[in-house]
Amino acid sequence: MKPFLIGTVWLYFAALLIGPIAYLSVQSFGEGVSAFWAEITTPEAVHGFVLTAEITAIVLTVNVVFGTITALVLARQRFVGQTVLSGIIDLPFAVSPVIAGFMLILLFGPETILGTMLGAAGIKVLFALPAMVLATLFVTFPFVVRELTPLLQTIGTEGEEAARTLGANEWQVFLKVTLPSLRWGLIYGATLTAARAIGEFGAVLVVSGNILMLTQTATLHIYQSYVDFNYTAANAVAFTLLAVSFGILALLEIAKARAAAVLQA
Amino acid sequence: MRSRRVIQLALRSAAVGYVVCLILLPLSALGREALVAGPGRFVEDVTQPQALAALTLTLETALITTVIHAVLGTISAVVLVRYEFPGKWFLNALVDLPFAIPTLVAGLMIAAIYGPTGVLGAWLQDRGLAILYEKPGIVLAMLFVTMPFTIRALQPVLIELEREPEEAAFTLGASPWTTFWTVTVPSVLPGLLTGVFLTFVRALGEFGAIVIVAGNIPMKTQVASVYVYGEIESYNPRGATSVSIAILAVSFLALVLLERLTRPPGERMPALLRPRGRAPMTVAS
Amino acid sequence: MKGRISLSRIAGRVSVGLLLLLLPAVPISAEDARELILAAYSVPKEAYERKIIPAFQRYWKQRTGQTVRVRSSYGASGAQARAILGGFEADVAALSLESDLDQIAKAGAISHDWRKGPHGGVITTSVVAFGTRKGNPKGIATWEDLARPGVEVLYPNPKTSGGAMWDIVAIYGAGLKLWAQQVGPGRSADGAAAEAYAAGLLKRIQRNVKVMDKSGRESVTTFERGIGDVIVTYENELLPRVWSGRPYEIIVPSETLLIENPVAVVDRHVDRHKVRDVAEAFVAFLHSDEAQAAFAELGFRPVNQAATVRARGAFPRPANLFTIADLGGWDAVRARLFGPQGLWTKTVEELARDG
Repeated sequence: MKPFLIGTVWLYFAALLIGPIAYLSVQSFGEGVSAFWAEITTPEAVHGFVLTAEITAIVLTVNVVFGTITALVLARQRFVGQTVLSGIIDLPFAVSPVIAGFMLILLFGPETILGTMLGAAGIKVLFALPAMVLATLFVTFPFVVRELTPLLQTIGTEGEEAARTLGANEWQVFLKVTLPSLRWGLIYGATLTAARAIGEFGAVLVVSGNILMLTQTATLHIYQSYVDFNYTAANAVAFTLLAVSFGILALLEIAKARAAAVLQA
Repeated sequence: MRSRRVIQLALRSAAVGYVVCLILLPLSALGREALVAGPGRFVEDVTQPQALAALTLTLETALITTVIHAVLGTISAVVLVRYEFPGKWFLNALVDLPFAIPTLVAGLMIAAIYGPTGVLGAWLQDRGLAILYEKPGIVLAMLFVTMPFTIRALQPVLIELEREPEEAAFTLGASPWTTFWTVTVPSVLPGLLTGVFLTFVRALGEFGAIVIVAGNIPMKTQVASVYVYGEIESYNPRGATSVSIAILAVSFLALVLLERLTRPPGERMPALLRPRGRAPMTVAS
Repeated sequence: MKGRISLSRIAGRVSVGLLLLLLPAVPISAEDARELILAAYSVPKEAYERKIIPAFQRYWKQRTGQTVRVRSSYGASGAQARAILGGFEADVAALSLESDLDQIAKAGAISHDWRKGPHGGVITTSVVAFGTRKGNPKGIATWEDLARPGVEVLYPNPKTSGGAMWDIVAIYGAGLKLWAQQVGPGRSADGAAAEAYAAGLLKRIQRNVKVMDKSGRESVTTFERGIGDVIVTYENELLPRVWSGRPYEIIVPSETLLIENPVAVVDRHVDRHKVRDVAEAFVAFLHSDEAQAAFAELGFRPVNQAATVRARGAFPRPANLFTIADLGGWDAVRARLFGPQGLWTKTVEELARDG
């Protein structure tokens, strides 16, 4: 039974994931390593990588902070509308990126209240970095919350209550009791957020204006290359993004295994 | 303590405020656009033959995807948690990758392998199974982007699971199969439900991968997200937003249902009706 | 606790990292640099980036001593128009269809009559043509051949692709012309019968379409991947691919549609950015020999007389060329074909019902 099940799982992964990714890897180096390197060091590619890194850094910071707060509120508090809040949190998964981008245009377009107010203040949202950050914040929001909420529910409040009776204030309780037990959930949620932010495409395409060397993220550069028939560049940059994401995830797996080994030792 | 209440309220306002601004505000802009000509027009937009066909196709393929992942995802989660084998760390790291891959790239990869001129696609086509540009292609794209959900939702629950009930069942003579269905599955139900519902909801909204691998022929192989894109591009924002709202409504209902079904035991009553003074039960760690 | 992560140290590192990352994004402004924002459709990207923009930058430097920085964006024509409507502050819009420019004009961003410019505001033309595999194995020559059973046809979705609209309008117009030829000069005044024939032709061809990509360019990449027997697209999409060695044949049917690509200065934005002089010079430059030659090298049919003469060898002249004006203009055609009761919309629904 056991080998049959393991075999099934390998086949499932191979057909769905390993096959396509292996294909991409092979295609990326089809023209040789120097061609691969040349394509990921073009000014456009480098700009794309830097812009993606910028957006990811901002999104990580904001969504980790607010995600943690939201998880705490959902898991530790009881209030009217909690079910509704919980349902809303996962909605970004269901919104197609075209719509996500379109919503931002509906919200910040030139004919809108927000649009005219911000425009008068000289702040550009759409077709500039802010809109791209907003779009990415939107699509990555659920990750940290979804990781932390069940974890908080599982851990329970005993440790926290104990700390309170010993005289700790809320911030100390959070920092010294809650946060350490959330450590792996937080890191994992942050990793997923980063990986998703790196790969965001559809919504950013709509709200960025796709301006060369200004608002073209790495994924937009992949699309541009594909549309320019430059498959070598498209594959090379795609492979690089994948390698970075896979690298982060693999490191996480190894670190988790080490931590588990330490706990058992 | 009063300061604790204050902090609780502050945190709640921050969380609710953020969610409202980031998620509700844009969604309400969408809703306003959809209903700008009244609910009658909304219904009309959603029941246009092409819109209806797109919605039906989307629901159908999302359901198929969910069923496949429910089965194979559960098996994968069990295998990854319970068994040790070479390459396990590799598979574990792979599971989350679909979150990171731009959907455009996912679509291109699938098209390259399963397309009529692709490595596997040509072989399958000779045997009469066309994947790309037909329904199977749509399901394949949905399978790809939703792969992590079931597995990742089940793994932590399986890890936490106490083995005693299962071992007790064994000693009483139950087969592995029976044990699985009567002991394991009910205990991991919340995790399973979460994974299944999230898979469904995510599949409903997928665009980037599907638009590459589907034929996108209206009323035949066009899913809702592609239909919506077409309407936006042809200056029919109201039609686009109406169908989007329809899909989002289905997703929202599913997510609310999920929340009710997976609430920790002992908290079935809404907060307003719970007797005062009793602390909620927490799941033992 | 062993191995605890210090939150404050992480926060410190992240902030420093953020600062370092954000610094390069702060622009360093040059004193006499002017900035021009160009929104173009995707196909002429190479012409603009490789030849026309650098040439214009040299020209402007020579004329005024100023440096021009061009920020360019390429995407589907309709998407670019909508971006401009959504607030994208392009100074010059070089789009695929005049009706996309009209949308921008309707919103008030373009306030002059761009059709009054040289060549009616058009900078390049092309024709709707067929691309087949090398040797034309299915023997495609006319529109009727596309309707034959067993022929797989490719073109994008007209809802999302301006190019597809040109393609389908070409089918429709060709249908009208073919019908007129068949029945001879006497009966060609019978509008309803001609319409019926054109509708039938469109239906028979649409039946052979299995994949509709969202843009013309993506349609070509699908064709390149080996899908389909014949692709209906702009001639200027096919020519550069063939010139770079791809094994395709290009067939220009004798009844086909003239595609005209216009360009216009976006008044609202050039006045806001104070770059009207640069923008108008840029648009004028697009009609110059140098720019027109660059377009011709990419497979566009230039509008400039001198360039046309030089390029004449490469561009066959279809016997029965017609234009969008012949069919009543974009507004009328859009309503007739793509509206909720439009010919193409109905065709698709009928085909779905037929199963």
